[in-house]
Parts: sequence; C-alpha cells; structure tokens
Amino acid sequence: MNRVLRVELRRGTAPAAALAMFGAGVWMLAVHVDHWAGRWAGLANYFRVSMLILCALMVAAGAWQAGRERRRDLDELIGSTPRPGWHLLLVAWLAVALAGSVGVLVAFAGAAVLVAPVATYGGGGWWWTLLVGVVALGAATACGTLVGRLSPLRVAAPVAGLATYLGLAILLYWDTTAAAWLSPVNPGWGVHRVVPDRVTAGQAAWLLALTALLLAAAARRWRVSALAGAVAIAVAVVIVTGPGPHRLPADPGAVELVCTDTGPQVCVSRINAFLLDEVAPVAQPILARLDGIPGAPRRAVDHAAAPARTQDTPDDGTVWLHLDQQSTARGGLASPDGLRADFRAVTWPQCPVEPGREVNQQVYLVSGLAAAWLLDEWRPTDPALAPAPVDPALESLRALPLAEQRAWFAAYLDAAARCDVPALLHLGRPR
Amino acid sequence: MTTVSISGLRVGYGRRPVLEDLNLELGVGVHGLLGPNGAGKTTLMRVLATVLRPDRGDVRLLGQPLSDHAGLRVARRRLGYLPQSFGFYPRFTVREFVEYFAWLREMPSAAIPLAVDRAIERVGLLDRADDRMKHLSGGMLRRAGIAQAIVNDPRLLLLDEPTAGLDPEQRVEFRALLRELGLDAVVVVSTHLVEDVVAACTRVGLVDNGRLVFTGLPDELIAAGGDGDSGDSPIERGYTAVLRGAREAAR
Repeated sequence: MNRVLRVELRRGTAPAAALAMFGAGVWMLAVHVDHWAGRWAGLANYFRVSMLILCALMVAAGAWQAGRERRRDLDELIGSTPRPGWHLLLVAWLAVALAGSVGVLVAFAGAAVLVAPVATYGGGGWWWTLLVGVVALGAATACGTLVGRLSPLRVAAPVAGLATYLGLAILLYWDTTAAAWLSPVNPGWGVHRVVPDRVTAGQAAWLLALTALLLAAAARRWRVSALAGAVAIAVAVVIVTGPGPHRLPADPGAVELVCTDTGPQVCVSRINAFLLDEVAPVAQPILARLDGIPGAPRRAVDHAAAPARTQDTPDDGTVWLHLDQQSTARGGLASPDGLRADFRAVTWPQCPVEPGREVNQQVYLVSGLAAAWLLDEWRPTDPALAPAPVDPALESLRALPLAEQRAWFAAYLDAAARCDVPALLHLGRPR
Repeated sequence: MTTVSISGLRVGYGRRPVLEDLNLELGVGVHGLLGPNGAGKTTLMRVLATVLRPDRGDVRLLGQPLSDHAGLRVARRRLGYLPQSFGFYPRFTVREFVEYFAWLREMPSAAIPLAVDRAIERVGLLDRADDRMKHLSGGMLRRAGIAQAIVNDPRLLLLDEPTAGLDPEQRVEFRALLRELGLDAVVVVSTHLVEDVVAACTRVGLVDNGRLVFTGLPDELIAAGGDGDSGDSPIERGYTAVLRGAREAAR
C-alpha cells in the first residue's frame, strides 16, 4: 500500500491539490496578515477561517480524483481485480487529503516562522484548533470522493467545490447558534477566547464520523455507512444541544495583563504583549494630555482583558484599546491611527438611545471637537489620507491658554457623562 | 484439465439476449475466440473477467464458482484481463501503471518489483518502463496493457483484441509470448485476426449470434472450409463455412 500511495502522491491529483492548497494558503495569509500575525492562537484561528476556501478546494480535488477511473475508462479493468474497492478509494482519498493538508500546512508553517520570534503567548490549546482543521480537510476530501464516485463528469469537481463554498458561507450566518460548531469554518472570534475542550473533542469526533460515513458511502459499504452515520448523528445532537459559539470564555493566560513600568499606565494582554513597545508611545502622550483632568481616564488597557459586557466608553478611568487586528507580519503595530481612534471613546456623550427621541446632531459636532482637541497630535500617518480641514472651533479652542483648554475639556467630559445637551451645545459655541 | 467451465450461460442487455445457452470448457492452452461483430465475444470475455454478471448459468473459473464471493476473489487473484477498450492514467509511468495493477491483483508486496520488471520485459517495453503512459504510441500502450494483464502470472488470461495497434513485427513477438503463456495457463484471445489464431492458438471457438457454433483445433476449422467458400486463406474459408453452416442450421 505504501508503494501505491507513493505513486498516487506523485502521479494522481495529489500534487495539484498540494499546489492549489499551498497557493490558497499563501493568498489567505497575505490578505489578512493582521488576523494572525504575532499570535499562535491567531494563526490557528485563521487556519479555521480559511476553511471556507480550503474545504471547497479539497472537495473539488477529492471529486476529481474519485472520478478518474470512469473518466479514464479503467473501471472495467479495475472491476476484474480482487482488491476490494474501498482499498483503492482509501488510498486515493489519503493521497489527496495528505497532499492538500501538507500543501496548506507548508504555507502556514511559513507564517509560523514569522510568528515564532514575536509571539508572547503559546497556550490556549491552539494546536487543537489546528488539528481539527486538518481533520476537516480530510472530511472535505471524503465529501469530494463521494461526489466523484457518483458523477464522473469533469464539471462535477468544480461544481462540488463551488457548492461547498456557498454552503459553508451560508452556514456562517448561523454562527451564533450551537449548530455553527458543525461547520469547520471558524467565523473569526477573538484570539484571546478559548473554545471549550468538550466542543473541540465533539468537532473532531463529528468530522471523523462524517469522513467515515462519506468514504463508506462512496465505497458502498452500507453497514459501515450506517454505523458511521449513527455516530455522526449522535455527536451532532450533542453538539447542537450544547452552548453556541457566542460569549466564549476568555483564556485567563492569554488575557493576563502586561503593563508599562514608566509613564501613564498602558496594559496589554499577554497574547498581545509583543505590541506593548509600540502601543505605549502612541497611548502614553494622549494619557499624559488627560492627566489631572477630572473625569478623564488614567490608563489604557487592551480590550481583550476587559470583563464580559464591558462597554467601550470608559467609566472606571480606563480606555480600552482594540489590538486584535493591530499587528504586522513582523509583529509591529499595524495602524497607529487606528489605535489613537480608540481614544475617541473618551469623548462619546453618554446619551441614551431612546425611540422617538433623537439627540441633537450639534452634540456630535461638539463631541468631534473634544476628540480633535484630545488627539491634538493626530496627523494621518497614511499619506493617502488628506489632512483634516481647518476647524474654526478647534482653532479658537487651541488659541486659549492651556489651563483654559483643560478646563473646557473637563467641562465637556462632565456634560457628556450626564448627557447635558444644553451644556454641550454651550461648550460648542465660538469663543 | 478443465479450468474454465461454463454451462447454460445467458446474458442479455434488457430483453435482448447477447449470449444464449452457452456451454464451454477450457483447459490450459491458447484459445482463440472468433466471430463477427456483435456476436457476443466481448460479452463472453466480460463474463469471464467477472465484470459482467450472467442472467443465468453456472460459471466456474479455476475451480471457483463466481456466485460465491470468496471464490470470486480467489479467482480474480489468478486472473489477467486486457479489455477491448483499454484506459490508462496518462501521468503514470509504465512501471507505476503495471505496479498499480499488481497491487490491485493482491500480489505479495515483496514480489511486486520483480514481477513488474519481468512483465514489462516480456512485452518488450523495458527501455520505456520509466516513460509516462501519455508519451507512448498506440502499440506501446497495448503492450503496457498486456504487461498489466500478465504481471501476476495469471492462470486465466483474457485478452480482448490484444493485437490491435501492434505492427507486424510486434504481432510476431506477441504470438510467441502467447504460446509461452499458454504452456501453463488458460489464455483466451478474442480477435478478428484469424491469422493470429492459426499462428498462436491451440484451440479455437467461434461465436455467432450469442451461441458457440464451433470449438476445435485450428486445423479442424481450416478443414471445414472448401475452395468454394469465401476467404483469402484456408482458415478464413473455414471460418465463413462454419458461420454459413450455423446460420443455415438455425433457420
């Protein structure tokens, strides 16, 4: 069997599958570097996000391989041989699944080379996420194998691939229900969140049972199909009746805070700690500007470490920074401007949204004025962005002595916290 | 010794019978199967190759009844088959292709490399063993097909139109190979080329309209023909005479 597997790996659909999966992997990694860079869990999660494309490719490859005998007019000759049909099927499936998985894993290994020197947290069971993804690729190949056995038409492979892509994409719309766990595609939750072991084990069991079911059906081994089908259904019922993927718990190790030793306090979670040296120079000048202003936040903390249901608006002296997609391939800060924008939450007026009662739009102009004052240093680092137009209100505010500016900002924060619209509108009048 | 035994065989496609009440006993040697187009030769070969299940009748290959699953598997291990329409994987090399079929025929893995080389050598393709199948000519492909059929040293070798695409020199070599194989195996060759039968076959069968109308030695088929029968060679005259006689008897 080893000899035949080697031949299939060299001469069958396997080399093309490996190449296609490598290319797809590189492309997926290049499209959203910020989703995975610097974090092992991010890389594993992104592998599962990529399943949308990768599974579709594997289905197509499996279908192409399985339809080969009939396309090449070899089914009669093979039918005269004693070896049970499932042996051929298993070798063909294994060759494609192995080659495709290796192809994409090589691409992700390239990304791992970039992650390794930067990553500051290696826990969280990310390798299980990765492993379930590899099992999913096997299941996708098995699905293609069944399709190829049912239809030898050349068009069956691309059509099956496209149908898989669309089917998995539609399933993503149900990503808040427990049924979402049945899909191999991870909709992309926070990298600091941890999928319960029970769910990971269930997913692996579900995908393995599904693989056995599809392969047995393709080989027309009805008893094995029935057995695998029963296991698949039983596991699916357990998964579907459990909790869904919303509100996943945070990984305590990943969200452990790492803070600056000097200057205004800036803290990031352990999983984002590699960004601290670049986050601090952006956040600390803004915190310094707020220092001593009554009601102003005193520290900036990674939102990954925020307790559940924490609002972005600082109400305990903390500004929450969103760092999940703030990394370049080599671990640098992807968008300092985006990070500064997190401080705009400081100036949001706390006006409750009530039906039939709209907040005076002038309030938001004043809020923008306060944010512009706070982010005084702000200049777009992206040359493609045009400089902000001169705002006369901001210019007149800046013309005041610094003490008066800070008093104005303190008054603004006080009015914004109470949603005192007349006071806010008063603060917005020209001086 | 009889190693292929068929009795009361009926095979039909839908309601149309292709083989009807066919009885046949074959022993070691090279057996030529002649007959006009549509006579049922390929259908008979497909039944012997175990890829077509008969509607009725008893078929025993190498002592194994085909109705028995275990017996079928045992028979298939000692079977070699080259179908009329021979497909191949174009990216495989000749060696890989033959090796693949050695595996399919459940040969012991330790014996495969030597058996593959031997089979390729016997069909004269050793110098092209590492060429991809897509780079072979029609005749070479046919020889590769024969190589896969003989790789397991079959006790029953079924060759459907094996000389199609072979040039005269290759046909001469192939007939020699047939004679060699027929020394200790049942070789059944379905062909239109009556000269192949004279040159290589120890016995000949003639199928017409789904029935076996003649079995005997090639010389007996030759003797059945007379000067008045159509044909360019004695065996062609015997062939047309037997066919004519069978058709007249059927009326």
